[in-house]
Amino acid sequence: MTKVEVMAPVGSFESLQAAIQAGADSVYFGIEQLNMRARSSINFTLDDLREIKTRCMAHGIKTYLTLNTVLYDHDINLMKSIIDAAKEADVDAIIAMDQAAIMYAREVGLTVHLSTQINITNVEALKFYAHFADVAVLSRELTLKQVKTIVDEVEKQQVKGPNGELMRIEVFVHGALCMAVSGKCYLSLHTHNSSANRGACKQNCRRTYEVKDDQGKELVIDNEYIMSPKDLCTVNFLDKIIETGISVMKIEGRSKGPDYVYATVAAYAKARDAALTGKFTPELGNELMEDLDKVFNRGFWGGYFLGKELGEWTDSDGSKAKRRREFVGNGVKYFPKIGIGEFRLRTGKLAKGDKIMITGPTTGIFEMEVGEMRVDDQVVESVGANVSFSMATPQKVRASDKIFKIIELIEIAES
Amino acid sequence: MIQIIHLRHKCIGCNACIESAPNQWVMSKKDGKSYLRKSREKGKYFIVEAEDWEYDENSEAQKNCPVNIITVKKL
Repeated sequence: MTKVEVMAPVGSFESLQAAIQAGADSVYFGIEQLNMRARSSINFTLDDLREIKTRCMAHGIKTYLTLNTVLYDHDINLMKSIIDAAKEADVDAIIAMDQAAIMYAREVGLTVHLSTQINITNVEALKFYAHFADVAVLSRELTLKQVKTIVDEVEKQQVKGPNGELMRIEVFVHGALCMAVSGKCYLSLHTHNSSANRGACKQNCRRTYEVKDDQGKELVIDNEYIMSPKDLCTVNFLDKIIETGISVMKIEGRSKGPDYVYATVAAYAKARDAALTGKFTPELGNELMEDLDKVFNRGFWGGYFLGKELGEWTDSDGSKAKRRREFVGNGVKYFPKIGIGEFRLRTGKLAKGDKIMITGPTTGIFEMEVGEMRVDDQVVESVGANVSFSMATPQKVRASDKIFKIIELIEIAES
Repeated sequence: MIQIIHLRHKCIGCNACIESAPNQWVMSKKDGKSYLRKSREKGKYFIVEAEDWEYDENSEAQKNCPVNIITVKKL
């Protein structure tokens, strides 16, 4: 069996480093505004392209640029300049939806991947797009059986992309689910003039609602989050997903932090390796699910893969992660000979024994326990806001790094 | 007089402001973001003064902007 690719979402250099450290095979990201996270993530600019490519190339990681919004005539020049820049920076593929973007990418000789916005649900559609694209992500609404049928048909009917090879099939394995068909939703445009299909979703579905009849009588509903789906998580049955013959496992979450990117990529890479060598067990699946539960999630369900109807609604407005991170300070400088980092606490308090997470655009992400801290060369047990201190760190830290205190939410509930 | 302020780098190029107030707003063909006509650049903001009668149209642009980056003030 060939290796199945783990594709990581990256919305910042912090997340990019985290994806690299966790062992991603490929990353996808947006540049400027023509992508589905135009509002929420801090998008990269055209100038960042080369840096992204250089960092990924050093680790043999493929780079895919997302350009998948609805395009208007006034967007065409920007679309072309983004694709030209991608070509120049030798980006591996463009993830596109609009035919204008697909056509132009082909014109300049760039590989095209079909975006989830195209919502591929059958092999005939793939045959149409095979004239332009080498890789396609399938609709999130398909069952495992439907996915397998499509993969098998691609082989049987020899559906080949422009590169002359069989089309590679991709599925979303983890991350947020949309209450509409994979992002094709008009709620946000309707209520806020803010189109999800231009990457500006206001996430109406994530709020609570009251249900009243025309007499003003309120219906009693057991969950006021009437249309906020739980997040997709397939790590506990990833062997079944891999058995369908898909080539790429895509993780949603370009607007999420480096801790999320690291945890999801690491978990799915581990599950994939186990599945490909016949070592995947339900115990491993559950163990990895516990790891995933530590980072942003709205509660998990297995999506439509197992043939269930969408009935798994979340009961909270934000994350249900078992721990959260709290910003406390930043790096100042590092003394490599002695392995000591200097930091400044900006807010809150940090004590010996606290668990912390350090993230940065070059550092990526790592976790450690606070050991001996010194202020003005005196050993201290804890430091407060606006105090500079030093401590030993397991790896280099930088002025661009941020320190987050990790708070286990179970502890809070118990104390 | 009124003052219009635009936090341009956050623009997603949806065209709503141009629909509401075509006198003040124009779409840049270069980067697909809207541009506040005759405005001066101050840091990340683009600012221009206009006549009182242009208040309503530009308030509508402010209201319709999906990413809330337009401010219209009466001076």
